[in-house]
Amino acid sequence: MSETYPQGRRLNGKGVRDRNRPVRVVVASFASCFGCQLQITNMEQHLMDVLGQIDLSYWQLTSSEPMPESFDVAVVEGAVTTEEAEKQLRELRDRAKALIAIGACATTAGIPGIAAKSFYEHPSAVYEHVPQACGAMISPRPLSAIVDVDFEVRCCPVDPYDFTIMLQRALYGSNKLATTRMLCSDCKRNETSCFFGEGQLCMGLVTSAGCGARCVNLGRPCQGCAGISPHANLASARKSCERYGVSVSDFDEKLELFNQTNQATHEAE
Amino acid sequence: MAKTAISVDHIARVEGHGNVHVVIEDGEVKTVEMNVVEPARLFESMVKGRSFDDVPYIASRICGICSSSHVVTDLLAIEQAFGIKVTDRTQALRELLVYGSYLQNHATHLFVFAAPDFLGTSSIFPLSETDPDLFEKALGIKALGNELCTRIGGRSVHPITAVVGGFTSEISADEYLMLANKLEAALPFALQTVDLFRTFQFPVLETAGDMLAMVQADAYPVCTSSEASFVRSGQVFAAQDVEQAVEEYEVPHSAALLARVRATGSSFFTGALARINASWDNLSKEARVAAAKAGLRPPEYNTFTNNIAQAIEIVDVLIRCSALCRKLAEADGFEGSSAPVQVVARAGRGVGYTEAPRGALFHDLTFDEDGRVLQASIITPTSLNVANLEADMRVLAEQLVADGQDADTIRLEIEKLVRAYDPCLSCSVH
Repeated sequence: MSETYPQGRRLNGKGVRDRNRPVRVVVASFASCFGCQLQITNMEQHLMDVLGQIDLSYWQLTSSEPMPESFDVAVVEGAVTTEEAEKQLRELRDRAKALIAIGACATTAGIPGIAAKSFYEHPSAVYEHVPQACGAMISPRPLSAIVDVDFEVRCCPVDPYDFTIMLQRALYGSNKLATTRMLCSDCKRNETSCFFGEGQLCMGLVTSAGCGARCVNLGRPCQGCAGISPHANLASARKSCERYGVSVSDFDEKLELFNQTNQATHEAE
Repeated sequence: MAKTAISVDHIARVEGHGNVHVVIEDGEVKTVEMNVVEPARLFESMVKGRSFDDVPYIASRICGICSSSHVVTDLLAIEQAFGIKVTDRTQALRELLVYGSYLQNHATHLFVFAAPDFLGTSSIFPLSETDPDLFEKALGIKALGNELCTRIGGRSVHPITAVVGGFTSEISADEYLMLANKLEAALPFALQTVDLFRTFQFPVLETAGDMLAMVQADAYPVCTSSEASFVRSGQVFAAQDVEQAVEEYEVPHSAALLARVRATGSSFFTGALARINASWDNLSKEARVAAAKAGLRPPEYNTFTNNIAQAIEIVDVLIRCSALCRKLAEADGFEGSSAPVQVVARAGRGVGYTEAPRGALFHDLTFDEDGRVLQASIITPTSLNVANLEADMRVLAEQLVADGQDADTIRLEIEKLVRAYDPCLSCSVH
């Protein structure tokens, strides 16, 4: 994973918009729950405003039109868990001017990524004979482990408006870098009390900010769905756990939920 | 020899990845396959060894549309294993959460996935210009389901507040009343939806298999009973015994396990139509009248009418949810608070059972004394349905071949049937 998040690196801050024709967008998905694609449809009131800016050329979830030969933007959900998916992703990347990864599965391998731990034991634990239809299964990976990703919309599921912002950046260009702040800074701004004071584990210490601390605001500690920030200090976070009487092994176990495939998680553990 | 092969690769407007293969040789339907190629994420193996409190959070990610159902089912399994009783208030909130996903799911399925088949378009989007009023109201029902899930669960996909023992946060009485008003205001359009789907033409078809739904005396249950019934054979079983009643099996062409009745080998359908057949007497009066008006009365074994059945459930859900919201707004409406009760882990097994929007859903979990998962089995509605869908596809293809229909018509009608089942292929593989 790169030191900072990719943000239209290939595009040099320029958008893919063409003044002569609408931008062609395709939506594709790999191993996921489809929840992030649903979140896009879940901005009902604004859906047509967003779709009105683009030519939505392919979206299997909502339309039976086939995938076109050429397009400008690929919106991709899901983790890569088969050789076939890896090949499809490379093809999408070759054809797209901009690639937007949406959701935890696509950006960190997310929940499917949990299976990356001792991967080869999992298929035979579920199937007696792994069906042909499963394809050639490989250990789960985020998109950025295979191709360049221009924009990432984090969290599980994505916030539909975060998606809109990234789509705007892909269309019209932006030189804004993704935030590397930790979630804790959001709680400070929100003036929310801290779970650590109650001896409860919260992943906000190391998790990228951006969601506004949605879970914490509803009384639930952060589970880390945005993935750890490239600037997260895991060693210091483990010390904080000790100081507050929170189990360090619980912290390390919780890291696996959304960061199993991130090398940083396994360093100095 | 005349050989016709009908293939639909990556069938559109369903949740997940699937292909359909039908081979017709000399007027005889040879092969009928629902090829489920959704990537396996291996949830049952991935949760092994993990602590109980992570499990519902992980299980929610099996499916975006019915995440509420997966969470509630998982919580029921854990609480059963640990011998935890939750309050009536918590129970009511869980019902609302499940019902919220019914509204989301049924509205998305009916309008975004199924309706274009009958309107002759490739997606719902052209409707925004040809019938903006219908488009807006259709998305309005979906938005209402999302709002219900968001207010109760904190988010429309993957609820935040529902945890073992209760809820971490709850909305105010005023918000419940506001929700009740909105739910009631949506009723006229829900009735209009039943009328709309009644006018859509579909083939006559009698399903090849049985039907499975949750049953409970004097209720149209979605998460309050642990008794399941096969509608046609009359066999009733306790959710604890699901493995004895239902046999899951592997086939090479599907990443999802298929299912049949263990006693008879029969395939079966689960979903809105099965529920309406099983609990017709306990539907709200308005929903029953709407159903009768639409010509749907039990026993109804044409799986194409699952579309109408879902429209009828929208009516029923609006009525039930507004009543629940009004009761939750009253100071003494439900006993107890929704704050999580004390949770003490212990070794044991629990089987959570709910009716997800697409049908019967079982989470069978066994824990060690520290509350870590030893064994997990998740049986989803669509994996229960695939075998019956294939059987129905065969019956339909045979009828259409006998009628002398061409390959394009057969393909279209089979696609319509697949969508009427409202399959969730990501759920089915999990």
